Amino acid sequence: MDSSHSTKEAGDIPIPITNPKSKSSKTAPLVVANTKKTAHQPPVSRWKRCLGILDIILRICAIVASLAAATAMGTTDQQLPFFTQFFQFKAEYNDLPSFTFFVIANATAAAYLVLSLPFSIVCIVRPHIIGARLMLLIFDTIAVSLITAAASAAASIVYLAHNGNSNANWVAICQQFDDFCQRVTGAVVASFIAALIFIVLVIVSAVALRRN
Amino acid sequence: MKAGPLQLGVAPPENRGIAILDFFLRLIAIVGTLASAIAMATTNQTLPIFSQFIRFKAKFNDLPSFTFFVVASSIVSAYLILSLAFSILHIVKANLVNTRVLLLFLDTAAMGLLMAGSSAATAIVQLAHNGNNKVNWFAICQQYNSFCKRVSGSLIGSYAGVVLLILLILLSGVALSRR
Repeated sequence: MDSSHSTKEAGDIPIPITNPKSKSSKTAPLVVANTKKTAHQPPVSRWKRCLGILDIILRICAIVASLAAATAMGTTDQQLPFFTQFFQFKAEYNDLPSFTFFVIANATAAAYLVLSLPFSIVCIVRPHIIGARLMLLIFDTIAVSLITAAASAAASIVYLAHNGNSNANWVAICQQFDDFCQRVTGAVVASFIAALIFIVLVIVSAVALRRN
Repeated sequence: MKAGPLQLGVAPPENRGIAILDFFLRLIAIVGTLASAIAMATTNQTLPIFSQFIRFKAKFNDLPSFTFFVVASSIVSAYLILSLAFSILHIVKANLVNTRVLLLFLDTAAMGLLMAGSSAATAIVQLAHNGNNKVNWFAICQQYNSFCKRVSGSLIGSYAGVVLLILLILLSGVALSRR
């Protein structure tokens, strides 16, 4: 009548029904609470995984943006069709040290992003690891400041190149080198987009660091 | 990580130390950014030569990058003064999470703004010191000596502010992960 031994069929949750009379004669029933794996993840690690996926997507977008900025600036080369012996009519990015710094900083940021992709993947696969998230937060903050510095230094030189400055007798060179100017302006815009994406990455890391 | 009974709602005592350190770093950052904004805004040099057609006066608002620098530094120092209230709140109640995340986001935005202003001004200062003969831009520092020195000095305060803001962001991150 009473089954007081556990069955071990797969998927079954054996419910021990102890018969006090036959307690000593049978082996103690095995209590297996749950033979199935949980069908759904706990909600905390689910939204952390969503944040991790968002993090990776944003990182890939930022790689594209900063690489585009670095290459657009680095491949500038415009030569005006007239020349004299004493005057230079060629414009390259390394004529201006701000632009050189811009190319180096954007290339560094793109390289850092590529290297940080594995850490981001680790944060998706194991959402409870805090050390990797904190490290991503620290390095993303430093990268924000680096890219913002490069983008705004180049932006101030581009502004000068477009408008000149009569108080300092600086001529607006964009009126002559307009192809160079367009390319350089586009590179600065791409770099500002990358800086914005970095700020969003910092916020995503901060929100994902909360433990609840 | 110590294994022990989990106490919900009670922050570890290190978080209070982090909040106090946060408060002091904010105070130093306020001093740095305010000093650099004032030093840049009070530049005014007139050369002893004058003629009717050319001006020989240099102020910060002759160059739009410097204007942007003064505006950005003032905004960031005003924000830092207002965020002292949040900092004191975190000292008193050390286990608030949402305000810490908000403070971290605002600190990141302020750091970006301050860095943008500082590096735009740095680019112009570098041009003013060295000139650039490829684009025929003349080095104005050779004439306006004291203007240049003052402007270069005010950049130091704002870079110190940027470093302190980065430290504040890291402290907020560490405090968030330790709850």
